[in-house]
Amino acid sequence: MTDFSIIGKSVALIDSAGKTTGQGKYADDLSLPGMLIGKILHSPYPHALIKKIDSSRAEALEGVIAVVTGPDAPNKYGILPVGHDETALAVEKVRYVGDNVACVVAISESIAEQALDLIQVDYELLPAWFDPEDSMKAEKDWIHPQRPNNIEKDYHHVFGDPEKGFAESDLVLENRYLAGEVTHAAMEPHSTLAAFEPDPQTGKPGRLTVWSSTQVPYYLQHKLSIVLEMPMSQIRVIKPLVGGGFGGKSEVIPLEIIAAVAARKAKAPVKITYTREEVFWAHRGRPRTIIDLKTGVKKDGRITSVAARVVQDGGAYCSYGVVTILYSGALLGALYDIPNIRYDGYRVLTNKPACGAMRGHGTVNVRFAFESQLDEIANRLGIDSAVIRRRNLLKPPCITVNNLRVQSYGLPECIEKVIERSGWMKRKGRMLPGRGLGLACSHYVSGAANSIIRSDMPHSTVNIKIDRDGGVVVYTGASDIGQGSDTMVAQIVAEVLGISLGRIKIIAADTDLTPIDIGSYSSRVTFMNGNASLRAAENVKTKILAAAAQKMNCSPEDIVMRHDMLWKRGTPEPHGKGAEAVQILEKVDTPRGNVQEVSGRVEGQILRGSLQQKRKEEGPKDRMSFEEAVVSAIDFSGALTGTGSYAPPKDARGGAFKGAGVGPSPAYSYSAQVAEVSVDEDTGEVTVHKVWAAHDCGRALNPVSVEGQVIGSVWMGMGQALQEEMVWKDGLLMNPGLLEYKSPSSAESPEVETIIVESVDPEGPFGAKEASEGSLAATIPAIANAIHDAVGVRLREAPFTPERVLAAIRARKQAAKALEITRGADPSAPKVFREHGGSLWYKGKGPERHPDDPARKNGDKALAGD
Amino acid sequence: MSLPTFKLLLPRTLQDAVSHLARYGGNIQVLAGGTDLIPSMKQKLFTPAYVMDIRGIDELRGIHVVPGTGVEIGALTPLSTIEDSEFMRRNYRVLYEAAITVASPILRNMGTLGGNICLDTRCVWYNQSLQWRKSCGFCIKKDGDLCHVAPGGTRCWAAFSGDTPPALLCLNADLEIIGPRGVRRVPLSQFYTSLGDAHLKLDPNEMLTRILLPESSAGWKGSYQKLRIRGSIDYPLAGVAVAFRKNGGPVEAARVAITAVNPSPVLVPGAEHALIGKQPDEHVATVVGELAAKAAKPLTTSGLTPEYRREMVKVFAKRAVLAAARS
Repeated sequence: MTDFSIIGKSVALIDSAGKTTGQGKYADDLSLPGMLIGKILHSPYPHALIKKIDSSRAEALEGVIAVVTGPDAPNKYGILPVGHDETALAVEKVRYVGDNVACVVAISESIAEQALDLIQVDYELLPAWFDPEDSMKAEKDWIHPQRPNNIEKDYHHVFGDPEKGFAESDLVLENRYLAGEVTHAAMEPHSTLAAFEPDPQTGKPGRLTVWSSTQVPYYLQHKLSIVLEMPMSQIRVIKPLVGGGFGGKSEVIPLEIIAAVAARKAKAPVKITYTREEVFWAHRGRPRTIIDLKTGVKKDGRITSVAARVVQDGGAYCSYGVVTILYSGALLGALYDIPNIRYDGYRVLTNKPACGAMRGHGTVNVRFAFESQLDEIANRLGIDSAVIRRRNLLKPPCITVNNLRVQSYGLPECIEKVIERSGWMKRKGRMLPGRGLGLACSHYVSGAANSIIRSDMPHSTVNIKIDRDGGVVVYTGASDIGQGSDTMVAQIVAEVLGISLGRIKIIAADTDLTPIDIGSYSSRVTFMNGNASLRAAENVKTKILAAAAQKMNCSPEDIVMRHDMLWKRGTPEPHGKGAEAVQILEKVDTPRGNVQEVSGRVEGQILRGSLQQKRKEEGPKDRMSFEEAVVSAIDFSGALTGTGSYAPPKDARGGAFKGAGVGPSPAYSYSAQVAEVSVDEDTGEVTVHKVWAAHDCGRALNPVSVEGQVIGSVWMGMGQALQEEMVWKDGLLMNPGLLEYKSPSSAESPEVETIIVESVDPEGPFGAKEASEGSLAATIPAIANAIHDAVGVRLREAPFTPERVLAAIRARKQAAKALEITRGADPSAPKVFREHGGSLWYKGKGPERHPDDPARKNGDKALAGD
Repeated sequence: MSLPTFKLLLPRTLQDAVSHLARYGGNIQVLAGGTDLIPSMKQKLFTPAYVMDIRGIDELRGIHVVPGTGVEIGALTPLSTIEDSEFMRRNYRVLYEAAITVASPILRNMGTLGGNICLDTRCVWYNQSLQWRKSCGFCIKKDGDLCHVAPGGTRCWAAFSGDTPPALLCLNADLEIIGPRGVRRVPLSQFYTSLGDAHLKLDPNEMLTRILLPESSAGWKGSYQKLRIRGSIDYPLAGVAVAFRKNGGPVEAARVAITAVNPSPVLVPGAEHALIGKQPDEHVATVVGELAAKAAKPLTTSGLTPEYRREMVKVFAKRAVLAAARS
């Protein structure tokens, strides 16, 4: 069935007017009477014991209301049940430069900032760990004492018989790949406003309301309950408009807890908004990753075995780390048919801001390595890059060797489309010197089949309420973070009920009002909340049809609901007023053939009395307006409500081995991309001219929205490929701002031609799968492969900055002093992460914190901070 | 981050400005476009008691052609005015090319030519928040006594990162400076100290008012080449300006200057001799590139490795010579 009225149409996002006019409210736009401002004091040391905090001078400053420190809320929390290792503010110990030490609550931001300077903290310095491979060898001074050798978690998975697979192969390639650390860089910095209502009986702080820039309001409610020792029922979390998440708001961020603790202590509403630097310290982005990858193939390019050892530099706290390291291994599967896999994954703690989930969570860096190596194998075997991929396709429906269930599989069509549109067959290998084409593929989950906190609870529930005005209110826990989930829900409900979008009001992501949804992460919302919305709408539709059927003297199955009308199947389609109204970007051809302009709200509300009057005058009829049907249903059943839930099916939830919970998904999206680049051989600068990106999203519920997500993914992938990198020096982030952290500007952004492939998933809502993440991972290797095609160098260290590209070009030409420009590091054969040059410590004159400082060699390790 | 507390002065005339400078000199910060000063003040790199916003002084704005002398450009002239001036593009090509690479279109509407000349030197160890700088133990340029870029030394190596000054050096620009003792005129080539922390020869009670381009530099061929990661927004990681006079025959007069690789913009020694009397061909351009690289002293003040940036000075100088020849 493709005869949809609103599904598959490029409708404007329903919250776009508020955003474009500035009327929409983000967390930092909110204000309450008596509201105070919180500012956080951060650690200047990467690893130190807190000996003493004296905040008396800060508290004495005029305008300061309270100073909060670790002991005010010492309960541990973390996004994963296995990783409860964070506290609101540091208790006993700081673990990275930027760790949270204290919070000043004052009547203004500038007073709070002044007060930060007056807090005296005495630290005792500890040796710190910055490189993951060094950190793994640590025998003492562990970052968390319960994590020996600073290893957060390691997994060792064997599927099939990898050794036998390598033995049977004709060619084996083994390389080390490095990927630098990148961050989300969402436009909106994190912001939280927390307010307690006084308890009417005791006058003490009672119910808590938190407005926060979050992708996961229900997890925030849960963690607040743990830290504040309050029942969840007394905590309300509301998500206002969110200016981008990309994973950076997909867990509980320190300021969210700190604001609540501070509001309790100050007995007044407290708002904290991060500076951009604090966003970098809160981070939770994609970790620096070392990938040692080995692939074995037959002469025809068929993969026989893959072995990967992955080390992730996770920073000082667990965050999503255990999930990240599992995704890195699990998503080796479900793209190609790989019969044998060995995976050794290490999530390592270091004294740096915690890494977490970021768009393409876990898969991106390993995919860069895999697709680069596969390209190299194709070159060695003399097989075309597209052909080798086609020879390794899965044959769905199937279960992969690592227990992932694959049903819809649009990858073959994605490859075919990008090959065709880019002119691959004609152009590849025939381009001007310095110019090249590269192909790569990727995939991603449409939601994790197992939730973070294991239970049989539905992952999403949606309620619908329809009242006599004919307005449809949808209560969904889904968090719209700019990706368009509110619009997705509205479109699904509108399609099922055959009504215009203008009738629908979305109430979303408010823990008091909306039923639980576990959040906007792992690209789960369209699939899971979409299915719940679909079921809720069908549930309420059944009630409307039952009532309408009585009035129309037919069976419910004989009634068509569309264009805000109901009519008996077989009778002429009505030309009613109600048929007016889809808010659509372009003109829309209705099935009746006439063309309708963009229309606003539903025409007037019809008073019940007049409706009843009208109804009395009429006998059974062939058609009714939506309002009339709603009123009949309300007369018939009282309140008109519907509910729907979604839980992933059992057979999609993966295997039984340790760590099997991460990777399984009810459906996977697929992407294939061709990048066209040119490389300046004198400077090493890479220009991406165009990217053809085909994405299998099952069905595009809103094509313009899908295109936006795919373009955004490609753009973000390009940033990681060419220029984005968090630069470190002894745990100090050298570029904590958007001037020095180089997200691409529009000037160097290429044209992205998106090609939507619709494999129509059997379980997705109207066949839809995810669209927001799966395309990111392919961009990086597509560019790497295009660089190789252009100038014959294989970059194995991302990002491919001009210095690295030039060094690789010179290493290939074996020029004298070839690698001086990267200080001896060969980006085509990288070994370890390189830090920024210069020195943080020298003869005790500097920060007096580094154990290797020549001035500190003679003892006295305890130093007072300032 | 909030701005530190200060008193705002809003002079409407040059005299008012001079008397403010005389009274509060040393404790005053002049605000022209504010594109660099405001973020720096939020980072507490400057905490002046007074900020003097000179945008109300109309006479400091505009490009004025003085026949027989050259061009006078008011220090407050936005970079976008130079960008939009057909006269400048035709007569002072190298300055036009440099101006269009500064930051982004929006910042060029605010940022001024005078501000770009007086731009504070930059370093990744310095252009950071107060909290960040505490974490590195501060540095010699601000609040500390150590240079992280050249540990053990006592000199500041922060890199001068303006795009237009190397172009102005090539054009042999003079500056007009006003202070309590009146107006003085100084060649731009003598305006910088080559120290990262006190990089301008400008007394605390003085202010830049005009930039003077001699008529003898009009019509020179020119080009500016800039190394940066992004196609917009970024400060230069290296920049090379080349300008020469050439009428059909060989090069008659020439200058080459570099920026972002030293604490000040510098004229490349010997470049003049390498170009004068020759055709600016591949060989000559290569020689100029090597001379430029020799004059560059990039350090870890900025992104990318110093070695790469020096290499790019060589490549970009060569390209600038060839591009100027085509201009």
